[in-house]
Amino acid sequence: MFRKTLLAVAGAIALIASPVLAQDGPLVTAEWVKDNLNNPKVRLLEVSVDPGVYERGHVPGAVNIRWHSDLVDTVKRDIVGKDQFQKFLREAGIGPDTTIVLYGDNNNWFAAWGAWIFETYGLGNRTKLLDGGRKVWEAKGLPLDTQVPAYRPTDLTLADANPKTRARLTDVLAVAEKKADAKLVDIRSPAEYEGKIIAPENVKELAVRAGHVPGAVNFPWGQAVNADGTFKSKDELKKVFAALGIDGSKPVIVYCRIGERSSHTWFAISKILGYDVRNYDGSWTEYGNSVGVPVINLAGTVWQGK
Amino acid sequence: MTRIIGPAAGLLILALLAGAVLSFDVYDAPSRTLATSLVLGAALGFVMQRSRFCFLCNLRDFHLRRDASGLIAILVALAVGAAGYLAVFGAWMPVVAADRLPPTAHVGPVSPALVIGALAFGFGMSVSGSCLSGHLYRLGEGSTMSIAALVGAFLGFGAGFYTWNALYLADLARGPSIWLPHHVGYAGFAALTAAGLGLIAWFVLGRAKAPAPAEPAPPLEALLVRRWPPAVAGALVGIIATLAYFRVSPLGVTAELGSLARTAASDAGILPQTLYGLDGLRGCIALVKTALLSPNGVFVGALVAGSLASALIAGQFKPVRPNLRRTAEIFLGGILMGWGAMIALGCTVGVLLSGIHAGALAGWVFLFVTVAGAYLGFAAMARFGKPA
Repeated sequence: MFRKTLLAVAGAIALIASPVLAQDGPLVTAEWVKDNLNNPKVRLLEVSVDPGVYERGHVPGAVNIRWHSDLVDTVKRDIVGKDQFQKFLREAGIGPDTTIVLYGDNNNWFAAWGAWIFETYGLGNRTKLLDGGRKVWEAKGLPLDTQVPAYRPTDLTLADANPKTRARLTDVLAVAEKKADAKLVDIRSPAEYEGKIIAPENVKELAVRAGHVPGAVNFPWGQAVNADGTFKSKDELKKVFAALGIDGSKPVIVYCRIGERSSHTWFAISKILGYDVRNYDGSWTEYGNSVGVPVINLAGTVWQGK
Repeated sequence: MTRIIGPAAGLLILALLAGAVLSFDVYDAPSRTLATSLVLGAALGFVMQRSRFCFLCNLRDFHLRRDASGLIAILVALAVGAAGYLAVFGAWMPVVAADRLPPTAHVGPVSPALVIGALAFGFGMSVSGSCLSGHLYRLGEGSTMSIAALVGAFLGFGAGFYTWNALYLADLARGPSIWLPHHVGYAGFAALTAAGLGLIAWFVLGRAKAPAPAEPAPPLEALLVRRWPPAVAGALVGIIATLAYFRVSPLGVTAELGSLARTAASDAGILPQTLYGLDGLRGCIALVKTALLSPNGVFVGALVAGSLASALIAGQFKPVRPNLRRTAEIFLGGILMGWGAMIALGCTVGVLLSGIHAGALAGWVFLFVTVAGAYLGFAAMARFGKPA
C-alpha cells in the first residue's frame, strides 16, 4: 500500500515536473510526442520527401527539413556540409540541450537518414526517431497543424563530421577483397540483391551492373519493422540479425541503392542494438558503377543484353 | 412521371457519392485524400453544371452575343482563388523564400512550348465546342459526343509525349518558372492580380450588352433549375480551388487522362521511356499509373457524377443523338487540346485557373494565348464549319 502511494506521489511529481518527460532510448512513441508538444526542450523535425506533405499538415510545432536540400549537398554527391547544417539547426531553434525528434513519410526512411546525419555531426545522443513516423501519427488520428513555426535562433556549434559513421567505397572494397574484416548487409529487395533487376520499378538512378558486393548478406529493410511500421523490439532485432551472423562481434557496413533505406537499418543496428555499424551512402549506385570492383551476380543478367 | 424520376435519380447519385465518401478509411492518409478529392470533384461538377461554368462557352457567349456574364464568373473565380491561395501561402511560406516555390502549386515554366500548347488548346477548344473541363461536366448533361473529345484528348496526349523530348532538346520546352511573389512579394502579387483581372473586367464590361431580364423564379427553382448568378458561381469555384490546393493539390482535370495515356502507350511499347525534364518532378502530370485510384482520377469521376446529379435534378439531362460531322469536329478538337495540354503542362484549369491563382506568370500567358487560339478557331469555324 505504502509503495503504491509512494509511486503515485512520484508519478504526480513527475507530471508536475513536465514538460521534461524522459524517454530513454533512441525511439519515442506517438504518445510521448503528443505529451511533449509544448516542451521547449524538444524540437520536432519532419523529413518528408513528397512535396506538400509537411505543408498540408505536420505534427504541431514541427520544423520542415528537406532531404533534397537540407540533408545532402545539392551540387556534388555528398552529405550536407557542416556550415549549412549548423545554420539550419540554429534557425530551427535547436540549442545545446534540445532533444531532437525526427519523423517523416515513406516509412521514416528519410527521417532515419536525418538521424544518421545528426549522428555524424555529433548530435546522435539526443536525436530520436518517432517510431513508425507519420504513418503511425496519422493512424492514431492525432492532430496536425499547417502553420509554419518560428523559433528564436540559437548559437549552436557543431562538431566536424565524424568519419566513423560513414563507409566509403574504399572501405567496402577492402571488405569485398577480404583485406578488412566486416559484415556487409545489403538491404535491397532480393531481386536487386540477386541481380535480376538493377533498380526497383520507376527508379531512374541506375547502375550499369546488377548484383551485390561479395560477402554481403541480404536483409530487406522491412524485416526490421512490425506491420504498422514501428521497429521490432530490441530482443527480436537481436535474434533477426544474429541469424545473419551479425551479433556485434564484428563491425558492420549497411548499403542499399542510394543509402536512404540503409539508414533505416543503420538506425536499428547502431541505435537500438548498439553495434558498431557504418552506412555506405554511395551504395549500389556508386559500387555498381565502379570499374574493376568485384561483383556477385547470381541471376547472370547482362547489362542491356537481350 | 419524368419530373419525379429525374430528381430522384439525381438525389440517389448524391447519396451514392456520400456513401462512397464515408467508405474511405479515415485513419489512412491516402484514403482521406481520395475522400476529399471525391467531395471536391462532385462539388465542382455540381457548381459547373448549375452555372454553366465553361471557359469556351463563356467566351463564345461574349464573342457572339456580347453576353459577359460567363466571363465575369471566370474573373471572379480567378480573383477569389488568388485570395484563397494567398491565405494558404501565408501559412505555409510566411516569408517568400527566393530559392523556393510554394509546394505543389502549379507554377510552370514560361517557354515557347507553353505558347504553342496554349494556342493549340485554344484553337482545339473552339473546334471542339468546349474545353476539357467543359466536356467533362457536359458529359453529365448527356452530351454523348463529349466522349469523342476525351478519346481525342487521350490520343493527343500520346502525340504530346511523342513530341515532348524533341521540343525539350530543342530548348523549346524549358523556361523559367516565374512566380510573381518572388519578384513583387505577396502584396505585389495581390495588387497585380487584382489590377490584371480588373483591366480585363473593364474591357469586357465596356463591350457587353445587358442580357434580357429573366423572369423572377421561386427560390427552389432559382437554386436547382436556373443558372446561378456569375458572381456566386465564380466565388464557389474560387473557394473549391482554394480548398483543393489546401487539402489535396491544385485543381486540374488532365493529370489522370495524361497518366492513362502514358500508361497505355508505355504498355504498348510505343513511347520513349523517359520524358526529359519531366520525370524528375515528383507529382508531374504524366506519371505511369501505379495505383488504380488516384486522387485526380477520383476527382474527375466525381466531377462528372456531380454534374450528372445536378442535371438530373434540374431536368437538364438530355442525351443527344451523335451527329457524324459534329462528332468529328469534337474529336479533332480533342486531339488538339490533348496535345496542347501535354505540351503546355496543363489546360484551362491546371495552368490558367490554378496558375493564376498561384501567381504563376505561365497562367497569364496561357490565358491570353489560348483566348487568341480560340478566336482563330471561331474564325475558322465561321468559315469552314457549322457554328455549334
